[in-house]
Order: sequence, then C-alpha cells, then structure tokens
Amino acid sequence: MTLITPTDIILEIPSTVPTGQYSNPVTAYQGYINKLCLDAILPWIQQDIAPQTKIWTSTTALPSFWELVNGTVIILDDKRLVLVPSEAIDLSEMRVPQEWVDIPTWAGDYYLAVQIEPDDGYVRVWGYCTHEQLKTQGNYNPSDRTYAMDSDFMNDISTLSVAQQYIENTRSHITELPSLPLTQAQNLISRLSNPDTIIPRLTIPFEMWGALIQHGGWRLSLYQRRLGQPENFSIIQWLQTGVSEIAQNIGWRSFDLLQSGARNIEALQQVEFSRQLTIAGQTYQLTILPENQTEATICRFELFNTIGALIPNGFKLRLLTEDLQPFPNNEDVATNPVQQLFVEVALSKGEGIVWEIEPIPENYDREILKF
Amino acid sequence: MHSRQTIIEIFSTFVQFSDDRFHSWATDAKLRRSIQACVSKIPQEINENYWSLYWYNSLQSDVLGVYAKQHLIAYLQEVCYYSSQKTANTFSSTQYKLPDCFQIAIASVDKIFKGFKANAGYNLKNYASITFSNLIRETLRQRQEIDICTPWGLLRKISQKRLVESLQLAGLSADTVKAYIQAWNCFKTYYVPTPGSSTRQLSYPDKSTWEAIIKAYNSHITQQILESWLLNCAKCVRDYLYPQVTSINISPTGQDTEWLDNLPGEESVLTQIIFQEEEKVRNSQKTEINTILTETISKLEPQTQQMLEMWYRQGLTQQQIAKQLEMQQYTVSRRYSKIRESLLKALTQWSKETLHISITPDILKNISIVIEEWLQTHYS
Repeated sequence: MTLITPTDIILEIPSTVPTGQYSNPVTAYQGYINKLCLDAILPWIQQDIAPQTKIWTSTTALPSFWELVNGTVIILDDKRLVLVPSEAIDLSEMRVPQEWVDIPTWAGDYYLAVQIEPDDGYVRVWGYCTHEQLKTQGNYNPSDRTYAMDSDFMNDISTLSVAQQYIENTRSHITELPSLPLTQAQNLISRLSNPDTIIPRLTIPFEMWGALIQHGGWRLSLYQRRLGQPENFSIIQWLQTGVSEIAQNIGWRSFDLLQSGARNIEALQQVEFSRQLTIAGQTYQLTILPENQTEATICRFELFNTIGALIPNGFKLRLLTEDLQPFPNNEDVATNPVQQLFVEVALSKGEGIVWEIEPIPENYDREILKF
Repeated sequence: MHSRQTIIEIFSTFVQFSDDRFHSWATDAKLRRSIQACVSKIPQEINENYWSLYWYNSLQSDVLGVYAKQHLIAYLQEVCYYSSQKTANTFSSTQYKLPDCFQIAIASVDKIFKGFKANAGYNLKNYASITFSNLIRETLRQRQEIDICTPWGLLRKISQKRLVESLQLAGLSADTVKAYIQAWNCFKTYYVPTPGSSTRQLSYPDKSTWEAIIKAYNSHITQQILESWLLNCAKCVRDYLYPQVTSINISPTGQDTEWLDNLPGEESVLTQIIFQEEEKVRNSQKTEINTILTETISKLEPQTQQMLEMWYRQGLTQQQIAKQLEMQQYTVSRRYSKIRESLLKALTQWSKETLHISITPDILKNISIVIEEWLQTHYS
C-alpha cells in the first residue's frame, strides 16, 4: 500500500462473516464482494462522519439485493449513499448499475467508488459523485445497463463530508416507472426465478425490471423463488406450522392469546402475529389477528404503541392489494390521538396484502402477506 | 540538476538523461525561435507565470495549439523531474529508476492540461507537481499488481474503459475491439473466484466455465478463439502499462510534425493587461487563503501537525508515517482525510461568505486542489 494516492482513503476489511444465501456462484460472489465493501466502509462512516448511518433497508434484506444487482445503499442523515464496489485496479471509471440511478425509490444522492482488494484485505475509496453529476456527466451503456463515470469527473473523497453539509442539489429528475399489473408481475417472477437465468436484470426491458424490483415484496419473492424457498409470508402456513424463519428474521412472532391470560375463552384458541416497528423514534407493534383460525378469511390489522402511549395525529395504517391498489375501507387515520389504529379486511385464498404506515417506519421494506 | 534561468530556455529546452541521472538541457530549435519571437514583442515581461498562462490559454487555438503544448511540456520539465525523483527515492530497490518515473509522468501530461483551471486559482507548477506524483504512484502501483497476476486474474482486475483504451492503443479495429469487449464481459461475469481465495492467481477456467462463457457470448464461436481473444486482451492491458520506449532523449517536436510558419505573439499585449489585473485579484485572495489555512492548522493537535510535516516536508510515505507514529496505515489514511476535511471546511465557509457562491461538487473539487497546492508550497 506504499503507492496509494494520499487523497484516497484505505480501510481494513474486518474478518468476514457469512454473506447470506444465493442461487449460484456468480451472484454469491457479488454478495461476497458487496459484503466486504460494506463491512469496511460502514464503520468508517459511522466513526468519522455520522454515527447514526445505517443500512438500507436492513441487514437481513441485503442478500435479496445482491442476488440481483451490484451495490449497497447506506443512509447518512437524510442522504442516500450508494456504495459501488469494483475489483478494477486502474480506477479509470466507476460503473453504476442503472437500478441505483433510475428507480425512484432506489436512487442515491452520492455514489462512492470503492476498489476492493480481497487478497490484501483492504478497500480503497477513491472518489464519489452526485446523482446529478452521474446523470449529466456519465455515459449510459445499454449493453450492461450501467452509467459510467470517468475518473476525471470524480470528486476527491475527503470532500464528502463537507459536500454533505454544503451541497443542496444532489439529484437530477427521475421519471416514475410504469406500474406493473399483478398477473404480469407474477409471470415475470416465475420466469426470472429459473436458476438458468444467472443475471435476470438484463433479460427484460429496464422499465419492467425496475417496476418489478422496486416493489420490496416482489423483489423478496423473486429472491426466494430463485433460491427455491417456499412461500415465507403465508399467514395460513404460519397458522399451521408457525412463523417461517425468514419472517422471524425480519421480526415477525406468533403469540398464543391463551397463554397471555385469556384463559376464560377456552373455546377460541386465538393466535396472533406481530412485529415491532420503530416509527418517529418510538416503538410500535403491528399485529395481525386472523378471525377464522383455519382459513384466515377475515383479518384485523392493528397498530399500537408498545408502552401504551397514544398514537399521534396524522398516523395512518393502510392496506393495499399486492400490486399496491387501494380498496374500500383500507385505511385508518388518527385524526385525534388514539389508542390504536386498525383495518379489517376480508380475503380470498391466495390473495396478497401489503401494509403501509405513515410516517414510514425505520427499515421499511414492502412485504406481501399471503393468505 | 541546474535550473533554467531565462524565459527562452524555460520554454524551449528539455531534460536529457544519461546513466539514469540528469545530464543536460537540450534545446528544440523550433520552440526556441517561437518563444524568442514572443519575447521580443514584450521583452519587459519576464514573469514565467505570465508565459505559462499565455501558452495554457493558447492550447485550444488552431494556430498556436501545437506550439503551446510543447512549450508547456518544456516549462514543466523541472517539476516533472523533481516529482519523479521524489517517488523514485521512496523505493529502496533499483526497480523503478528516475528516468522511468519521468517517462511515465511526462507521457500523461495531457491529464494536467485537462484538469488544470487557471481561473479557479491553481498554480500550474504546483498542480503539475501533485498530478505528476499521483500519476507516477498510480502507474507503479498498477504495474506491481499486474506483475503478480495471471492473465485470468488480470482480466478480472481492469475496468472496461481501460481495456478499450488498451485495445485501441494496440491498433485493433473498432469491430475487433467490440467483439473482444463482449467476450471479456462474458468471461468476467461467469468466471468468478471462490470467496476467500486468491483473486490474482486465478487459474485457467474449467470446462463448465468455458461452456457458460461460450453460451453467454451467444454466437457460434469456439473455445479456442475465445481463449486467444482473452489472452490478447490481457497482453494489451500489460502493454498499456509498459509502453515501448524507444528513447527518452528525443526532442518532442520531432522531425515530422508540420509546423506553421507564422509564429505566435500577436495578441500578447492585451492578454498581458488582463493577466496583470487577474494577478492582482489572485494575489489578494491568496493572502486570505494563506491566513485561513495557517490559522486552521495552528489549531490542530500537535500529532496531527506532525503528520503534515512528515508527509509534506519530509516526503515520507503513509507507510513510513504509520511506522514512526506506531499506528496502522489505515489510521494514518483516515487521519489525513480528517485533516483535509477541516481545511476544506474552513475554506468552503470562507468562499461561501466572501465570494457569495453556492457550493457545488465542482467548487469543492477546486477548493480541495487549491488546498493541496497550498500544503505543498507551505511545507516546502
């Protein structure tokens, strides 16, 4: 490391930990490189720039991104930093996958070029640019769907934290992607989950691909199907065999209401599912109560504060169909501080439901609950 | 090495090496006539900054461009020499000699012309000094790395941009380059190392990997052809980093360049007035910048100040600094970045308040270069 340009930053790769599951060696290696990158960079940003910097959307969700695309987002205050790892030693350019630039909910404010040296155990952060710079000065390459930024246009990395404080405009305009009908999305997922399709991102037009994976639930579903996993978010399955491991990792738990004190209503063996959420700095609980305990045809979704505080004005609990369409009585809004928000929904077998809360909970990633 | 004295010498002579050391200054006759003609128009202008900016501003000119570049290369000879010497000295081995470093640096002089911004307050010599040093270090680092890579490892460690440049430099046709790049992309996608094992010593791809690459290439092609293409790619990348040097002691204008007869020097007087005005503004800004940066540094912790001394005055490498201060090189790298950050913050705040500009990434980039230049001069 004698010859490193002094304005670049070199960081040690801590001893590696498992990188998650992937469908093939190519995507597994992509996951590995991204993990090395993240493990080296996140501690540096937290220690030297902003301690509260965190992973988007959450640590558990990372393999479902890396199975599909190169790059990782971390959130620094209100700005999104896209880490773009590469093994190229010549630092002539940074190539950013289009997903991180043109999908509105995925796009970043800053893009960091990171050279990974797995053999020597270090990474080198050699420059960065804004979304705006990438869109105006970068070259789009249709063959691999990347934006390539010439090293001459990259900014010196030691200016990043000052940029963070002084630069107001980081983004270019991003066009919304068309919405994808449910059947089309489901067909695409079946098609792209074929394990022979090593790199699904280049096999369908970008608008379609972007619209598909922008939906967290579909992204996760594609990931699980590619790995040959069973449906992990089926409420009926949960009722029969308990909450799946994947769902448990996200935070879902089941509770037997009899054990928690309702002994007198022995006839109704009630099971509920819930997960904790952090919203505006407070801990809340989202609970699903299936009314019919075998078929779950009617479900009640509840939101309340775990320490019993009232839910402030303006909070919303909203249910949507799998392709994010509203339906009658799908929303409860706190117009006054209230004890709880709830929505009841009647479902047919195989239907999927997506929940949303406003303000957006920390680490929120859409999930499709199947009935 | 003795430095050149007159404007005419400075803009028309070149370093000659002998036995890996400075030997003499060689004059290029055409450049000498050109600069002589200019100087005779305004003999009172003996500031080399004036002439360097004059030629820099003429780089884009149809008539003067070809002269301007050669005059500037002549002008930057000392800077290039000292940057090369400094870098060569950081190696205990004789692997990288001074003329090698000099050659690497001067071959990339276009990078300096491209990145230099006179109106952002850069000084051409200081900017060149920083850029030359970085270019030499970078090239040597990349050479070290590719020297220990197998062709397969090497192919996974270059960017597409560099590969295209290497293939073009080798004189391959546009169609060949396109086919090679496609083949290389398939290779790079499907030939992945095992996590945790060496990425440099990658061995010959196995049968199933070749099959995947051929299938991805998506047309009728044999393994043999693909293999020869890929090995040729690797060779071109190596050649790019080790260009054939016929002789370093050749005057750059050569014999076959077509030189125009009308010598430059017509619009000199007007530029001179503008230059003097700009010089005044620049000097007053420089004084303020100097005050701000000196003050900021004086507030830094003693050990941090010591690091700056070691880096800029003593010319130590990060590795050497780490050893002396008994810390990891990673820590030095991060500390160094923090120092630059505090200087940058001070100067950015000043720019925002006194120059009333809104801060863009490009402005930060400029400020950062001004700081680096200042540090180099301040500690020299």
